[in-house]
Amino acid sequence: MNRKPYSGRVLAALAAIMFAAVACGSSSAPAASSKGNITIAGFAFSEGSVLAELYGQALQHAGYNVTFKLNLGSREVVAPAIKSGQIDLYIGYAATDLEYYNKGAGEATGDATATTAKLNSHLQSINLVALTPSAAVDQNAFAVTKATQQKYSLAKLSDLQPVAGQLVLGAGPECPTRPYCLPGLMSLYGLHFKSFKALDTDGSLTRAAFKSGQIDVGLVFSSDGDLNSLGLVVLQDDKQLEAADNVVPILRQAVASDDAKKVLNEISAKLTTADLVQMNAQVQLLHQDADAVTNVWLQQHNFGM
Amino acid sequence: MAAIESVINWFADPSHWSGPDGIPTRLLEHIQISAESVAIGALIALPIGIVLGHYGRLGNLAINLSNVGRALPSFGILAIAFQVFGLGDLPIILSLTALAIPPMVTNSYVGLREVDPDIKDAARGMGYRALAQLFRVELPLAVPLVMAGVRTSAVQVVATATLAALIAGGGFGRYIIDGLAQFDYSKLAAGAVLVALLALATEVSLAGLERLLTPRGIRLVKGAAASRATTFKTA
Repeated sequence: MNRKPYSGRVLAALAAIMFAAVACGSSSAPAASSKGNITIAGFAFSEGSVLAELYGQALQHAGYNVTFKLNLGSREVVAPAIKSGQIDLYIGYAATDLEYYNKGAGEATGDATATTAKLNSHLQSINLVALTPSAAVDQNAFAVTKATQQKYSLAKLSDLQPVAGQLVLGAGPECPTRPYCLPGLMSLYGLHFKSFKALDTDGSLTRAAFKSGQIDVGLVFSSDGDLNSLGLVVLQDDKQLEAADNVVPILRQAVASDDAKKVLNEISAKLTTADLVQMNAQVQLLHQDADAVTNVWLQQHNFGM
Repeated sequence: MAAIESVINWFADPSHWSGPDGIPTRLLEHIQISAESVAIGALIALPIGIVLGHYGRLGNLAINLSNVGRALPSFGILAIAFQVFGLGDLPIILSLTALAIPPMVTNSYVGLREVDPDIKDAARGMGYRALAQLFRVELPLAVPLVMAGVRTSAVQVVATATLAALIAGGGFGRYIIDGLAQFDYSKLAAGAVLVALLALATEVSLAGLERLLTPRGIRLVKGAAASRATTFKTA
């Protein structure tokens, strides 16, 4: 994930750090009949806390003694920590993690299963394992307003092909030179937009341009918490232009018991991108605590709390 | 050397001279934003400076206020105006206008104050009414200083108009922002060169305009007006 921190996320992260500082001491599970200790880390942005709480609480309720290290940092901090055994588990993103462990070799594709398999081939030698990727995904995505969607009845990126000539695309200034952006849209989908407007990558300029109608199609992240409140609809990447940044738990083989894997895989199987958008919105926009928000989701999905 | 060569090659590429991202389009955008800002700034600043200078009152207030104005960061104004007005030319014109006003207020105030009191006396003695004295005696004498203010403003505005690209606007700033984002450093450098050239061209052409507007009577020595103007530019 190309996280560009913008103020909302920074604030949310700050709030989460303070929350984590307060909550750290008390977040261990009830000690009764523990199946073992698992330390879970979260990336230092609000979705990182949401995912860590989600999977961590599920483990807690399955009987593990879970220690949370929320807002630990970026992958550059989290990955060395799991290699050295300071943490046991973090919730990563298939393509970005693959490109981290293979040192940017460009092996990631739009296929989540293949990308995770590749990831596992790199993780094996360092005694880590990535589980089955979730359908929930946080990756570059192209969105339109609801009005545009209805006007041209769009569902996926291929639907844009006949109308692209009337539409303006907005994205970061680097878009015209990046394969995942304008060149990919042209070659893979055959989209030739009326014009391109240089804005930012998923930031306030893109939002302002959607609001004022200066762009029709814009680059966002698929799990952004404010997609619903902005009335934006992500078009499905049906030809898999974007690298598959599906949510995927990565853990030390030492703690990867069949039981722990089963708990984590169940969450991955039920989690959707829409759920993630919803939970991110509650944490980022409504400033609710990540542990409370994820607790509600777990209850709704019968992880018996 | 390779860096300079790649910038020269960038300029030599014909595709950079046409289309919506071509140099002519970006030049027109840059000039349009700058000219609008300086014009609006002049409409506000010149009457204030001229009236205060003519009556010789509130001079300290005018100069201090415009000095405070100089301390306002254009980027800050731009960021706030973007929050209020959203995308478009309005935020950038607002912040550039704020940048353009102070030198023009100060210089026109000083220009009018510096008119020799004996000349004003003589004008009154010859029967000029107040307005005629202002427009036919004082203003022509103040032209070098007033125009030096306009020139200073215009050059600053042209140089600062690159900020427009930060909020998705056009102009040469586009090359700088896009070049940074695309790791295309020859585009970035070309943008900087273009802005510098346009600022120089602005300076030279307004200096020419200043000479044209200066009454022949006080155009005594070649360059005299300019050196006077420079002396007072930062008054």
